[in-house]
Amino acid sequence: MLALGTTAAMLALAGCGSGNGNSDAPPSGSASAGSTSPDAGSAGPIKLTLGDRLLETSTDGSVIAHRQMIEEFKKEHPNVEISEESLQDATYKTKIKTLAAGNDLPDVFELLGSDAQMFADNKLILPLDDIMNQDPEWKQGFIPSTLNDFTVNGQLVGAPMQMLSTSLIFYNKEIFDKVGITEFPKTWPDFLKAIDTLKANGYTPISLGNKDKWVAESCILSELGDRFTGTDWFSSIKNRQGAKFTDKPFVDALAALQQLSKVGAFNTDMNSIDNNQQRTAYYNGKAAMFLEGDWAISSLSSEAPQEIKDNTHLAILPAVDGGAGKPNAVSGGAAWAFAINANLKGDKLQAAIDLVKKLTGVEEANLAAENNAVAATVPTDYDKSKVVPLFNEYLQLFQGLELSPIYDAQLSPAVIETMNNGLQDLLIQSVTPEQLAKDIQSTYEGS
Amino acid sequence: MGKRLQSPGWMTIYGFLLPGIVLYLFVVVVPLILSIHFSFFRWSGGLSKDFIGWDNYSHLMQDGKFWNSFRNNMIITVLSIVGQLGIAFVLAVILQAKWVRLREFHRTVLFLPVVLPAVVVGFIWNLIYSQNYGILNGMLQGLHLGSWIRPWLDDPKIVIYSVTVPIVWQWIGLYLIIFMASIQSIPAEIYESAEIDGATGFRKVVSITLPMMYDTLKVAVMLCIAGNMKIFDNIFVMTGGGPGNSSTVMAQYAYNTSFGKFQLGYGSAISIGMIILSLALILLSRRLMGGRSVEA
Repeated sequence: MLALGTTAAMLALAGCGSGNGNSDAPPSGSASAGSTSPDAGSAGPIKLTLGDRLLETSTDGSVIAHRQMIEEFKKEHPNVEISEESLQDATYKTKIKTLAAGNDLPDVFELLGSDAQMFADNKLILPLDDIMNQDPEWKQGFIPSTLNDFTVNGQLVGAPMQMLSTSLIFYNKEIFDKVGITEFPKTWPDFLKAIDTLKANGYTPISLGNKDKWVAESCILSELGDRFTGTDWFSSIKNRQGAKFTDKPFVDALAALQQLSKVGAFNTDMNSIDNNQQRTAYYNGKAAMFLEGDWAISSLSSEAPQEIKDNTHLAILPAVDGGAGKPNAVSGGAAWAFAINANLKGDKLQAAIDLVKKLTGVEEANLAAENNAVAATVPTDYDKSKVVPLFNEYLQLFQGLELSPIYDAQLSPAVIETMNNGLQDLLIQSVTPEQLAKDIQSTYEGS
Repeated sequence: MGKRLQSPGWMTIYGFLLPGIVLYLFVVVVPLILSIHFSFFRWSGGLSKDFIGWDNYSHLMQDGKFWNSFRNNMIITVLSIVGQLGIAFVLAVILQAKWVRLREFHRTVLFLPVVLPAVVVGFIWNLIYSQNYGILNGMLQGLHLGSWIRPWLDDPKIVIYSVTVPIVWQWIGLYLIIFMASIQSIPAEIYESAEIDGATGFRKVVSITLPMMYDTLKVAVMLCIAGNMKIFDNIFVMTGGGPGNSSTVMAQYAYNTSFGKFQLGYGSAISIGMIILSLALILLSRRLMGGRSVEA
């Protein structure tokens, strides 16, 4: 009991920012002496803690590929013991921030783009430039823009683990044909008309599951916002060069999102079901569309009935009249990377680097491609016959698209929290676009 | 009387108390003091802390979202006092009646929700409230009351009430046990003499049972207020404070601010605010209820 109390006190003291991260991480062993030789197993098993969102039950192709890489790593490195904790997305995002606040991060963990600045400023993660430069083959395997997503203060702080498009429209062509829409709408007014037609025929136009609050922001607003504001506005926000959230184009984007809700494009329980459940209505043929990222392609392939699979096609949000953004932009980027705890040294550090290389190397990229997912590393050689037609459709569509930033991979956590909470209010007409914009702006100015 | 044990010395007494005290200190008192300390800083969890004095508190006083969450807590507390205590009292009185069979069975079943973790209760009720697959809507459809169907967890106007129902449901059993114990300690002679004077059931309850268990009632009200001011788990699981902020309670707001927005200093200030408000309410309730004396 006394030990428990003392541990609790130590945790509390660690939270004071004493900077000592080794005192109380439960499963990991102590760091070995300062040798930098590769792990030879001489000091006994090396214990690494791994924090991730790679749930074993996930149908996401990227998760499947990463899981297999972890299994292979364990076989190849029998002297390394990995103590892994896999959490669901929303839970993980909160937990990793909590651990960061207590300086208790795992040795290797998934880093979200928007947390990178904060973690780097607090010296919680290891800059990877030197490590990458020592292995040029690994470094050059990455799609260059993904490395930029994780460069903070001029240093690379994470190895990108995937390449996402977050805002794709999955639509059921059969339903569209049935109600008389032969071509997917290319302009905003046509899109609204299509929604009206679908509604009049008894379908839920868009199935939305915004319970975890990021779906409306990542999968709709990031792209819709860009249509109105253009990417330059976003760069100005990110680099604090004078753009504001209260600028008219962004407020217009918020208003457009609210308009979708006003005309009844969404299901009534949109804020109490999550992104996995939003697909259920689509699989049942009750909803005509849902918006999600390309990670849903592999989920759809394993979850949907054959009929729905055959009729599903991809599109992006239509162009907006007078908008500053490019009509062929899709919100996307690396979003998540694997980061290494700044406290690691010696054998442990080497083991961690090996693990991260395994998780983001060419092997992983090929496996991901076979599972209908896109890694941040370019795949060199994969079995194209294993891939579902929808993924090929995605790759083809993607060739004609440009990337626009994903809001929650780039903006500060405080701004994202205000935005996400506010979007739930916006969708149920509890707040006006102007008020929400002001709210976000004041959080942005305060942080 | 048997052999009288030698009175233990003070060292033995403190020796046995020490583990409990130490645990309490480190788990309750130290974090509380740290919280008060953090609330005077602007701190985002890392190594840099800026001392800003009372700024967090002055911001707190003007923070609309905080007072909105306080309002939600108040709604839950008031409904709980009426619901948990009211229903528990009625049930306790009924279970005292002579014609009730299987008293133990009823007590056990009614107490069962209390031992369920709040998260489990939240999930169960999530399923019950589910728009398309939930029992509640299914039942309403079946009884041809389809017009009563609402988006239970999506409509910002009713979500706080929807979320209160599981909280009330869960804790009735606890107060039932407390009240039953209290009622059983009322001497039977009082009831008998009242019956001789011609008192019927309802009169007996109001004039005898209630006054005699008034002290217990005071304690129950205090427990209820304290518990509902810090309610978190059920609501977190059901709605996460949503949609938007319509079912956010103070604990949820502190959580979002601290771990969502990385503003741990302000989050600590919110927690301290919670404590102050809870204490104020409890003192108020004791003042309101403590004035009456009981005539035996």
